[in-house]
Amino acid sequence: MSPESLSLELEPGGTPSDATSEFLNRMGRLPGGERILACIQCGMCTGLCPLGYAMDFGPRKMISALRAGRIDDLYRSESLWLCVACFNCTLRCPVGVPLSDRLIAGMRVDLLERGVGVPPELQAAFERTFRYGNPFGESPKKRDAWTKGAGVDVPVLHEGDSAEVLWWVGCFASYNKRNQRDTIALARILRALGVDFGILGPDERCSGDIPCSAMGEEGLFGDLYRHNSGQLAKRKFKEILVGDPHAFNAFNKEYRRLGTPLDVHHYTQFLAERAPELERRMKKPITALVTYHDACCLGRRNGEYDAPRTLLETIPGVRLVEMPRNRENALCCGGGGGANWLDSYIWQRVRVPLPMQRVQEAAKTGAQILAVSCPLEIPRFEDAIKTSGLERRLQVREVSHMLAEAMGLVEGG
Amino acid sequence: MTAREVIVIAEHLGGELSDITLEMLACARDVARTIGWRVTCLILADDPEPFKALPLASDRILIVKDPVLGSFNPTAYIRVLIHMLKELSPQLILLGNTSVGMDLAGPLSIGLNVPVASGCVAIRAADGGLVVMSRLLGGKLQARTEVLKGTVIALLLPGNYSREVGMRDTLPTAEIRPSPEPLGALPVRFLELVEPKMEDIDVRKAAVLVAAGRGIQSKENLAAVEDLAEALGGAVCSTRPVVDQGWLPRSRQIGRSGMTVKPRLYLALGISGAPEHVEGMKDSELIVAVNTDPDAPIFDVAHYGTTVDLLDLVPVLTERIRNLRGG
Amino acid sequence: MKIAVILRQVPDVVEELVIAESGRSLAEDEVTYITNEADEHALEQALILKARHGAKVSVLSVGGDEARDALATATAKGAEDAILVPMPFENRGDNHHLAALLTPEMKSAGYDLILTGLSAADQRDAGLAGLLAARLFLPYVGGLICVTLDPSGSVATVRKEFPGGRLGVLEVALPAVLGIQSAEQPPRYVPVSKVSQAKKALQPKVLSVPAPSVAGLPIQRLLKPEAAGKAEMVPGDVEQIADWIVRLLRERGIV
Repeated sequence: MSPESLSLELEPGGTPSDATSEFLNRMGRLPGGERILACIQCGMCTGLCPLGYAMDFGPRKMISALRAGRIDDLYRSESLWLCVACFNCTLRCPVGVPLSDRLIAGMRVDLLERGVGVPPELQAAFERTFRYGNPFGESPKKRDAWTKGAGVDVPVLHEGDSAEVLWWVGCFASYNKRNQRDTIALARILRALGVDFGILGPDERCSGDIPCSAMGEEGLFGDLYRHNSGQLAKRKFKEILVGDPHAFNAFNKEYRRLGTPLDVHHYTQFLAERAPELERRMKKPITALVTYHDACCLGRRNGEYDAPRTLLETIPGVRLVEMPRNRENALCCGGGGGANWLDSYIWQRVRVPLPMQRVQEAAKTGAQILAVSCPLEIPRFEDAIKTSGLERRLQVREVSHMLAEAMGLVEGG
Repeated sequence: MTAREVIVIAEHLGGELSDITLEMLACARDVARTIGWRVTCLILADDPEPFKALPLASDRILIVKDPVLGSFNPTAYIRVLIHMLKELSPQLILLGNTSVGMDLAGPLSIGLNVPVASGCVAIRAADGGLVVMSRLLGGKLQARTEVLKGTVIALLLPGNYSREVGMRDTLPTAEIRPSPEPLGALPVRFLELVEPKMEDIDVRKAAVLVAAGRGIQSKENLAAVEDLAEALGGAVCSTRPVVDQGWLPRSRQIGRSGMTVKPRLYLALGISGAPEHVEGMKDSELIVAVNTDPDAPIFDVAHYGTTVDLLDLVPVLTERIRNLRGG
Repeated sequence: MKIAVILRQVPDVVEELVIAESGRSLAEDEVTYITNEADEHALEQALILKARHGAKVSVLSVGGDEARDALATATAKGAEDAILVPMPFENRGDNHHLAALLTPEMKSAGYDLILTGLSAADQRDAGLAGLLAARLFLPYVGGLICVTLDPSGSVATVRKEFPGGRLGVLEVALPAVLGIQSAEQPPRYVPVSKVSQAKKALQPKVLSVPAPSVAGLPIQRLLKPEAAGKAEMVPGDVEQIADWIVRLLRERGIV
């Protein structure tokens, strides 16, 4: 199909609105965008969507509306803001329609540009990210303040500096108090392994994946990309280590597409390659039944399911048990695609919030520990555990923190 | 030689002097006492009765009476005040740093050719002049300004002087005059004063305040906070973000663009302690702060603190208090 | 109908505030600026009036480079006219100076309505709006949360905040200056891509007038307020802390 003009096969009696054509033509200019019209209306997407039941326009119906030239229905619908970017639909679509990243994200770009229906909670996250490089509105100068309490040296790479590994810490891991202890755990592990690493410190700005790319703020994503890629170019390193799967996704997929190919690994992948060494350094057991939650950005989006499990198995005393919905079928924590800022909005419109469903599923396995590899999941699941009354039964732990504890580098969680 | 004078421009609503007026009188008294200046409370009103026999801590009460002055019409006030102040020629003119005072300060400054200091928290007489301490940038900075000669207008922030010191046990002399300027044909007309909805209260009058900040996370969680406030016999208030979300009416907002309060107990729940908020509650008698962040600035102003989750603590605390009271 | 909005850049308190060695101002190279929040509301209110009455909105932005960025955002939001008012560091926060500087331009432009925020975070004298109104011999009302215009565009009806949640409803004959506390809706969002486009296309008129010799009161000393000390942290779990608090309140006679 020529990307310049997508021909609409109209339902009888349908007229393409200008806005619909505009939208589809814009999609056509983006990689994979033209496949929106290849949809066979099978309904797999809406069926798989964890919040599909709450959407008046699930992905299938969205495409059907577009085919009828009725983008206005979608402008008026709240469904677009219910998507948590879990990627289930895109992964399973039999004809490869890029639903999460083109249909949903593209519609959101459209809505933002028209100033239509942008939830104000998101507005604040965008404005803060634009101004301060993080969605919390914290001072950029304080991005590496966490290193003071790390207990080990965490070098900051300035312009012209070099290290084998550049550790991209991320917004949550840097600023969020609950995540900082896991960041420190990872720092200590890297030190113990003798890895030659450094961080960007205040020059690091949000990777843009969470608040921006899936949320429609392409201009902001582009702004952040230009800054970040510029900063990366000023340092010398062999590979990038990322703590946050969202940033991992941004670098692995989007930065590559925009022209900055990077050798990037999520920390679980990086450490899994060194599993034998980690095993040698284990000092104390964590005797528990552990179930691992597959992060959407690491699992479905980038195909990494094994590395975190490999790491958990290096810990003496850990017995892994799987939740019914695991690996490609994992249930999203509900924080993706900017939804982390839309909880109030979304939870008013759905039956049971996703994090609560997930922790209940974890508890049912009999596991005492719910292991995660994405910083968003810590606060989301901890809150859900409280709300579900599961405090005495289930604990959320970041994989890095468990490793560090077993290696005697940090106190238990 | 005429005695030097401090003039307090009174604020009143519904026949009652606002607290800021009493605080300004306390400030004026403080300044005047050390250097023997006279204090005049200048009240613009349509009916002098509620004011003429008040035991205010001023040497005299000067009431300008006119039907147009029954409500706050800034253009009417300015016309009268410029005339009066030119005639009285005081050294210090006190206005409230409030929605009333702030309408007057600029026009008076230009009309009288007199400088202004805003955001004042303290004024002292020193070295033949005045030293003014102000707050800037949401309370993060303090500025010291000296006025060695000439007149100055100072806008006093609420909550920095004691209302009680603005009263005393004797009556000052009261003088009532008509408006020195005609008040017809004004470019501004006061139409009406809309009272807040019935459910609403003046949080400044509550002895116990339970304050909700962003840590409350959702409107649903406010119900538990309301229960606690009720058990304590107090009221719920909040920071600006909670009000901006529409979870509480604006009259409950504490801080720079809200109310300043000094209750016996201020229980700060999930409040980070941003200066704009702290400004409005820092002088509370007892401040207990609950915030999971041990570095939250609220702990710089609180007397006691805890990092447990407020959502866990609130229901338990409510139950304890109820048991205590209800038996 | 012509509406003017004045935007001021004020120090951003998210960053640590550093006082200059002289002790009389902030350290110039350590300050980052952000548009004064109440002025953002003034702009929003102007855009609301533009949508309702088809007014033309001119924005005057005061400060340094950030003031130029603020003009880009304002035009991306819908303002038609962009005017940059360069302001050297030593005069920022001085509304007396700014009001005197703006007076000739405002006089000749003949706006029906001039909107700006009720107060600026860094001001140390009276609000800009009142001073400007007095210099222009225009009426001024401030602390507003709502502004509506009559069909002829000659009278504004405003809602003014009073203590205790009360609202005063006043009528103001135009032309007038209004001090906005908050707009009828929160300042709208405009996507970064639109702001970037606006930046590229921006060609503001620059107000270059000789600096008036008018200034507000000078500051002798700028200092950080003393922290009285940190809170005593109560140890224990939720139950223990609840008990502790109840004991404290009983001791103080609060329960």
